[in-house]
Formats: sequence, C-alpha cells, structure tokens
Amino acid sequence: MYLDPVLMIAVPLFAAFLIPILGKINKNIAKYVPVLVIGFNLYEAVMLLPVSMIKPVIVIIAAWRPPLGINLTIGPLGNMLALIISLVGFIVSIYNIKFVEEEPNEKFHMLFMLLVAGATGMVLTGDIFNLFVFLEITSISSYALTAFIRHRDSAEAAFKYLVIGSISSTFVLLGVALIYATTGTLNMADIAQKIQSVDPKIAVTAMILLVTGFGVEAEMFPLNGWAPDAYSQAPTPVSAAFGGIVVKAGMYGLARLIFTIFNFHGIFYFLLIMGIITLLIAEMSALRQKQIKRMLAFSSIGQMGLVMMALGLATQEGVVGGLFQMFNHAIIKPLLFLSAGYLVFYSGSKNIEDLDGMGRLKPLTSFFFAFGAFAIMGLPPFSGFWSKLIIISETIRNGFVVLAALALIGSVIEAVYYLRVVGRLYFKKPHEGERTHYVHPTAIVAMTLLTLIVLFVGLYPDFLMTYLKPAAAELLNKSAYIKDVLTAGL
Amino acid sequence: MIYYVAAFSLILIGTYAVLVKKNMVKIVLGLSLIDSGVNILLISLGYIKGKTAPIFSTPALKAQNMVDPIPQALVLTAIVIGLAVTALALTIVIRLYDHHKTLDISKIRELKW
Repeated sequence: MYLDPVLMIAVPLFAAFLIPILGKINKNIAKYVPVLVIGFNLYEAVMLLPVSMIKPVIVIIAAWRPPLGINLTIGPLGNMLALIISLVGFIVSIYNIKFVEEEPNEKFHMLFMLLVAGATGMVLTGDIFNLFVFLEITSISSYALTAFIRHRDSAEAAFKYLVIGSISSTFVLLGVALIYATTGTLNMADIAQKIQSVDPKIAVTAMILLVTGFGVEAEMFPLNGWAPDAYSQAPTPVSAAFGGIVVKAGMYGLARLIFTIFNFHGIFYFLLIMGIITLLIAEMSALRQKQIKRMLAFSSIGQMGLVMMALGLATQEGVVGGLFQMFNHAIIKPLLFLSAGYLVFYSGSKNIEDLDGMGRLKPLTSFFFAFGAFAIMGLPPFSGFWSKLIIISETIRNGFVVLAALALIGSVIEAVYYLRVVGRLYFKKPHEGERTHYVHPTAIVAMTLLTLIVLFVGLYPDFLMTYLKPAAAELLNKSAYIKDVLTAGL
Repeated sequence: MIYYVAAFSLILIGTYAVLVKKNMVKIVLGLSLIDSGVNILLISLGYIKGKTAPIFSTPALKAQNMVDPIPQALVLTAIVIGLAVTALALTIVIRLYDHHKTLDISKIRELKW
C-alpha cells in the first residue's frame, strides 16, 4: 500500500528544512533523519512499482487537471529512476552517519536531502517548468556540497561547476520560454502533442537549448569540464551521490526531451556520436590520471557516454541496455567511491601510488574496491556484464559495427586502468608508516548492501529486466504517454 | 519588440562578461545579467499591449483585458532561483579570495585536466 506520491518530494523538502531546528535540540538526531526520510522514499518507490508498471500513476495537484495544473507522472521509467535515486540516497545516508563528523554536519545532511528531493522531483514531474525548478534545486545543492570541505581546491571546483551549471540552466529556461511562446503550454504531454504544428526552426532551437542545458548534468562530452574537479574535490559521499543521483536525473531529463517531447530523428545520430566521443575521451583521460577519485570521475563520464550511445540507438533493446547500464552505474560507482574514500582516508593521500599494498593492510575495503572494479569492467558474474553485452550486441545488430568496436576499445582501456589500481592494491609492498584508522560499521553496512545488489542483479538479470522493459517502452511510445496524461482524472 | 531587443542585449552582455572577464565578481555579475535578460524575455512573451495586470480587483475587469499571468508566475520563481545562485556564487568567491588573495580567475589554477 502506497501513500500519496507527492510525499516523495514533500517529505524530504520539509525534513531538510527541519534539520537545522532538530540540530539545535540534539546534535545526534540530524544524522538519522536522512536515513529515515530517504528510507520512506525507497518504500514508496518500491510500493508504487507494481502499480505504475500496469498503468502510469498520474497525480493531479490542487484539482487542476492536466494540461492546466502541475502534475506528477509516474510511469515505469520515472518510477525506476526514483527507485534508483532513493536506493542510492538511502545507502549513502547510512554511510554518512559516521563519515561526516567534523564541520557543521547538520548542514551537510540538509543539503544532501535537498539533493535527493530535487532529483526525485525531476524524474517524477510531468511539467517542463517544474523540471527546471527541480533541476535548479538539485544543482544548487550540488554546488554547495562540492564546496563543503573548507579547502581551496573545493571552492575552485565549486565555482567552475557553478558557472557552467548556471549558464546551462539559463539555457533550459530559454528553451522553456520558447516552447511556452509557441505552444502555450508547459505540460510535457501537451507539448509533445502540439510540437508537430510548431515551426521546425523554432522547435530545433528550443531543443538545442534544452539538450545543452541537460547535457551539462548528464556529462555529455564538451560540457563535462566540471565533473572531474567536482567529483574529486567534493566529500566522498557527495561524489557517490553525483554518480548515482545527479547524473541519473540529468540523463532522465535528456531522454525525456528527445524521446517524448521532440520529434526529430537526427538527434539520435547526434546522441550516438556524442556518446562514443564522450566514452573514448573520458576513458583515455582516466588512463593518465594520478589521483584515484579523478580517475573514477572520468570513468563515470565514460559510462554515461555508453548510456548515451545506447539511448541513441532508439530501439527497444538498446534503450533497455541503456537503462540497465544506468542502474549498474548508479549502484557500482557509489561502491567504488565509498571504498576509495576509505582507502584515501587510510593512506592519507589521494594519489594512486600511495595505495600500494592496501589489500594486505585493509583487506575488507580493498575487497569492496576490487569487487566494484570488476563489476564496472563487465566481468561475467557481475551486473556490469549484462548491460554491456546488451548494448554492444544491439549496436552490432543495428549495423553500427564501427561504434561497437570503438566501445569495446573503450572497455579495454577501462579494464587497463582499473586493473592497474587493483594490482597495486594487492601485489605491491605497502609503504612504511603507522595506520590506525578502522573502517566504520555503518560504512561496511552501506558497502555490503551495494555489493549484494550488484551480485544479485548479476546472477538474476531477468528480475531487473521485467521492470526495465516497460520503462524502455514508455520512452519509445510517446502517444501512449500523451494519452495517459491528458485523460487523467476524467 | 523593444523588450525582446533589451532582453537579448542583456543576455549577450552577460555572456560576454562571463566569457571574457577575469574578475570573479564580474563573472557573477554576468551570470546575474543573463538571468535578468531571460526574465525580461519571459515577461515580454506574455505581454499584450494595452492590457492590464491579471488581478480581479473590480468586477468590471474581464480576463480578455489582461496580460498572460503564467510567465509572471514563472519569472517570480526564476528570480528567486537567480538570487540563490548569485548568493551562493558570491559566497564561493569570498572563500576563494580568502584562500588565494586574488579575484583574478586566471591566477587560480590548482585543478587541471
């Protein structure tokens, strides 16, 4: 039994602003609030899943039926992404209980909940201006979280991210203004219905503005300059949240725009080409990184390139592969970041060279890192294997053999730099020095949960596929989406 | 027409400031100018010459004599968001100044590809 889905956005927002007050009463309450609230979101997303798989849940707010009022549209796709976001948010907030100790930590928890609320809002809303507002909530809390550690480099990374991010969101607003001026509506289903009658020149301009705007959050190639800096300078749980939450919401925005709202086939070729360029450039940059978190950041960009390529195929199987890859990336990348965060904490250095021999000193954390590395490379028993298999075989089936070959080259490069780190962890002599830190039980719980999910999905991919297939079908069948939204409440 | 010209000039001036200026405060100003430009653009989309504000203050006012209220609601939200971004940007600039003792963005280059 599920409660009103509006609560998935309202409760985190309310609780986020309640945290400073709770922090005044008792310092310890603040860190348990995110676990509870995001746990509630997770419960809602799981309970909604069987319902939305059959028929999208359209929530009408304040009795204004769409297209007039703002509505939430919870189809299979939005629900899957809300599930991913709340799952990652929940696990990272368990990790946060002990990790965030110094600093005014209630501010950290508040911003983290705003991030989750914004991202959840982005994937659930059915209104394009609302999408912009939630995009802004997500990105403003991301800027602040990037600058959370009072260090000169984190302020620099945050400033870069802020300049790129706020210009991009201005582009989104301009695109929304153009769409409103020509169609006279803000409801996404209604826009999708009326966009055919709009002058194609204006529609293309609006699409370019919106795709550029969301491309920044989705880490599309020329627009991802912020990512390596922000990922490497932000606190570890925030890097994990970027990979698992912010980028997923941005990619959802991109997918929703090009599949549902606009009606141009050329954009899919654009996405294919941008995807493969993003993949190759990111993997080659990752290869020459000396810092572990920077390397993971470039790897994250590369994975999103693969997702873009899969979405660019615009076939049922291809989109399923892309969504599967998004799910895997959302689970595995936090695992890598969380374990790498502890490895960095032990060695006291961000450089890969200083991690030598950690496999003997810290077997558990190193095991988690190695597990994540194997999973993201796509070795068979893990979940990363299935998504890559689907994407590559579907690319070849559609005749893009060269693209498939390039993607495989990207995977080989990826294997090289991950294995290099894993090799250093296990086969090098540890540096001399005193190490007394121990990994915290909450962090072990968080990382174990992620590991179990990776293993479960790797062994039973069909379980996830039954939910991903309707989600892909929702993207590809826009007339059903339009009909479901516009007939809601009749 | 004049409103559209004003809006686009503001957007272009703002973009110029962000792209060319080295001073971080000027970059933040540029961002703020782009925001204002987009806001003016949105308002002018809903403006109809000779019509009044969409408030039913007297019974004599009819809906067809009013301008479109939706862009105004959108702009209200966009202004608040712009304010938050500007405030946050200035906070980060202050912190960068504390660490580096300079506002020149080309001198702050610890992070590179």
